[in-house]
Amino acid sequence: MTNILKRYKIIFVSLLLALFSLHLALTNKKELVRGSLIRGLTSVAVSPIQRSILATYAAGQEIVSDYISLVGVGRENKALREELLSLNAELNRLKEEEGLSKRLKQALDYKEIAPFKTTVAGIIGFNFGEGTRVLTINKGMLDGIRKDSAVITPSGVLGRVISAGRHASLVLLATDPRSNIDVLSQRSRIKAIAEGDGKNAVTLKYVRIVDDVGIGDKIITSGISGVFPKGIVVGEVIRIEKGRDNFFKHVEIRPSVDLNSLEEVLIVTDLGDEDSK
Amino acid sequence: MKESLFLLPIAVFYLAVESTLFPNMPLPDVPLLFVFFMAWKRPGIEGVLLAFALGYIDDAFNGGIIGSTSFALALVFLSAHLLSKRIHFSTPAARAAGAGGLRLLKGLFLYLVLKSAGLKAGGFPRLFFEILLTAAFAPFAIALLNRFCAFINPHAYKDSAN
Repeated sequence: MTNILKRYKIIFVSLLLALFSLHLALTNKKELVRGSLIRGLTSVAVSPIQRSILATYAAGQEIVSDYISLVGVGRENKALREELLSLNAELNRLKEEEGLSKRLKQALDYKEIAPFKTTVAGIIGFNFGEGTRVLTINKGMLDGIRKDSAVITPSGVLGRVISAGRHASLVLLATDPRSNIDVLSQRSRIKAIAEGDGKNAVTLKYVRIVDDVGIGDKIITSGISGVFPKGIVVGEVIRIEKGRDNFFKHVEIRPSVDLNSLEEVLIVTDLGDEDSK
Repeated sequence: MKESLFLLPIAVFYLAVESTLFPNMPLPDVPLLFVFFMAWKRPGIEGVLLAFALGYIDDAFNGGIIGSTSFALALVFLSAHLLSKRIHFSTPAARAAGAGGLRLLKGLFLYLVLKSAGLKAGGFPRLFFEILLTAAFAPFAIALLNRFCAFINPHAYKDSAN
């Protein structure tokens, strides 16, 4: 017996670890609690690396645009080009500043009118694996971020915090298949659950054939779960099909937040008196 | 053991670069190549543990379902180990085919876990590109890993340059 174990130890250990992993995966699919220690450690270890990578990348881009492009240019044009480049760099910087100011003003305006407390965070990483849609933000527990804090933008719901480190947090996007948000149709007030499809869309669960939901309807948060404030836009209905079970409809919605142009997000740190609404 | 201690932080750094600079781009699956290399060159308990740890860290770092990637990588290690007894990955083409096949296997194992967990699984076009990229990158990466491991552990690799 010992000989067999020794001879096939790699097979036994591999299968044992695979079974253990499967147990973790199947008993933990929604809770996202296990692995919090590793998540915390990776957050502490990796977020500085991510910040450094972004800073190096930006510095590299600046070097390329400012210096390398000047190699080979004749002396006569050098001064003029440098001036032009410097002006262009200044213009780009100002444009960036203007963009940033606009975005921050938009976020600030929203913060002021919103009946809940929020804090602004920047995105430092996107983690799009098979069936996962998660991003990393540069704020953590030290900034008042907690697990299950809602993450929104002035355009609508983005997701919720699944893991808060000291200086960085992981955000589960509404398009992740593990995301379930209590929602309702703004027009007909029909309630449903918005679930991510693992790509770039969200589907509505439990909308009955008889329920009044139409193309173009705005879908908003219902505020029932206590995670999201009530009335935040999740998306717009873009497709409705009859479900296979002839009882529920298959409703697809386009998320209101465009990830491609997103750099800052708002984290709801206190729902205020939303619950009493 | 030394190899695992060096490969683990490299994989974490790679995950950080991937998620920060190339979030939407299919890239070679470097952690999988590490697992392939260890299963073929250094089959042992430390290799299995490295595969499990890489998967677990990948899940924790990317916010995936804890256990899904470690399940896939532990089985990929086992498959690579069993395959390497029958197939000699001595040519670049064999290494590329092996890596591509293992990436496909990893995708299938992940798909099985997601389906078993009742979740939707998508991203098949991306998987296809990742298989191609992993296969294309494998000969170069394995040559590099050979040199790297021979450098950090010269005795173990003295007689196994290929």
